[in-house]
Amino acid sequence: MAEHYTSFSRDDTRWLLQRVTAVFLVGVLAFHFMLLHFVHHAYEITLAGTTARMSQPGYFITMVSFLIAGTFHGVNGVYNALVNQGIEGTPRTIVKYGLIIVSLLLIAQGIRVAWAMTGGQLI
Amino acid sequence: MPADRVGWHTVDSSQTTILAGSNPEVHMSQSYDRGLVENFGRWTEFSAGMWAWVFHKFTGWVLIGYLFTHIAVLSTAIEGASMYNGTLQGLEALLIVRFMEVGLLAVAVFHILNGVRLLFVDLGLGLDAQDKSFYASLILTGAIAVASIPTFLGGAF
Amino acid sequence: MSTHVSESESEAQAGTDQQTTDRPAAQQRRLEKKRASNDQREQADSSTETDEETVHLKVFRYDPEVKDKQEPRFDDFHVPAKKGMTVLDALIYSRDHYDSSLTFRHSCRQAICGSDALFINGSQRLGCQTQIDELDQPVRVEPLPHQEVVKDLVVDMEHFYDQMDTVEPYFQEEDLPSGLDEQRQDRENREKIKMSTRCIWCGACMSSCNIAAGGNYLGPAAINKAYRFVMDEREGEDLKQQRLETIEEEQGVWRCQTQFSCTNVCPKDIPLTEHIQELKREAVKNNLKFW
Repeated sequence: MAEHYTSFSRDDTRWLLQRVTAVFLVGVLAFHFMLLHFVHHAYEITLAGTTARMSQPGYFITMVSFLIAGTFHGVNGVYNALVNQGIEGTPRTIVKYGLIIVSLLLIAQGIRVAWAMTGGQLI
Repeated sequence: MPADRVGWHTVDSSQTTILAGSNPEVHMSQSYDRGLVENFGRWTEFSAGMWAWVFHKFTGWVLIGYLFTHIAVLSTAIEGASMYNGTLQGLEALLIVRFMEVGLLAVAVFHILNGVRLLFVDLGLGLDAQDKSFYASLILTGAIAVASIPTFLGGAF
Repeated sequence: MSTHVSESESEAQAGTDQQTTDRPAAQQRRLEKKRASNDQREQADSSTETDEETVHLKVFRYDPEVKDKQEPRFDDFHVPAKKGMTVLDALIYSRDHYDSSLTFRHSCRQAICGSDALFINGSQRLGCQTQIDELDQPVRVEPLPHQEVVKDLVVDMEHFYDQMDTVEPYFQEEDLPSGLDEQRQDRENREKIKMSTRCIWCGACMSSCNIAAGGNYLGPAAINKAYRFVMDEREGEDLKQQRLETIEEEQGVWRCQTQFSCTNVCPKDIPLTEHIQELKREAVKNNLKFW
């Protein structure tokens, strides 16, 4: 008992986070689809409209969280799939860090785009 | 199929060693490795839960792939309004894109519905109805996708 | 060739072909006659196969020591049908009447010993628990998938037993509660672990799981065993933590993808997926507590 580790071990952290992001994504993905395909039709979208939405702090934060949660959920899912595939050793380490780098790049680019979409009108 | 499915019908030699126990060489000559039997050649024997897993994986791959392309397309916003508007409207003018959007909606809806099903399974709720909830996800996905066709194809013709 | 195709028969045929040239005419005639009557008998067999008196089995055959069977094949057996006949009964009949070399494990014939888990018509089942008349014919009997075949329907269970041993599947607490000579369990706790105690180590679940197929996943049976002792209040707290650590490892519960394959095939109706899921939550709770 005394020897029991007190830290959150990594596998259950990832398992739990995958579920927590899932709950968030279920709502936001449905909202996103409704808003940009049914409320506003995709073919009517212009930068002006996008800027009007992105300039609202709540919307901006929601979309950035959506991006981060979606990237984690998706990339973690890909990693899990590859682990199930039996990837081990060096290839696994390479894939792991490769996926982390790709995720960070995607999030960085996403935030850059989101920022550009605000047209400097945020806040 | 996505790459993660390949392992169902490939066997690497390390696995044989694991299964064969302490003395792989003796076992190799005396026993027979049938490999992974449940490959797609036996798809008729798959149960609801296996199909749910296959579809969830497949839709997951599509969605993460789409996320990357989505951000790439939206990146045109950095170039300014004419670039952004031109790109989006140019894509929306293509009929194939409209149909792919219906497909994307179906994929997203299935992943959401089956994802909710899996969350309930994780909570240990309704495990006896796991097959029915999968069929319900499928039917609902189909219904929503069909119902959305007018919206998605509106103005495309 | 409707009935058993055994290696002795094909050897006999090979022998006759060789000797045809230098054989006396009389013997030749007798052999012809014998062959004809053999054919007749076989025709009679195949005619009974059409009415519902026989059961048609297709059985996987493999034997590394017999040249003919080194390459796996399926043999056909036509067994007289009886009311209440199980797949195991049909296999026993085939072995006793047609081909004594047909090899399979069986012992108690009442779903207790866990010896005769087989891959029957594409699903893992106990031969002794599966009624023939509930199956489509021909009944295809194969050894459990994802394990090495030793001979015919016999697979190497070593990996499965190793995985079971990983969770130390036995009660270990030695301290007795004060004032008692025995370990007592209350009714609720007994109910909680009741289903998990029913495991007969047949390996059907492990064989049905395509995650376990690919490597070292602990597997449903071993995780269920862990559940049985983790949830048992009589077992010591340190042993509970030790088992939780085992199932939390990379090859433990996190590998389960909730496909319900194991739950579907378990001959003892153990809710395996439910137990695995409960252990996942238990592991998360256990770690959150300390976090």
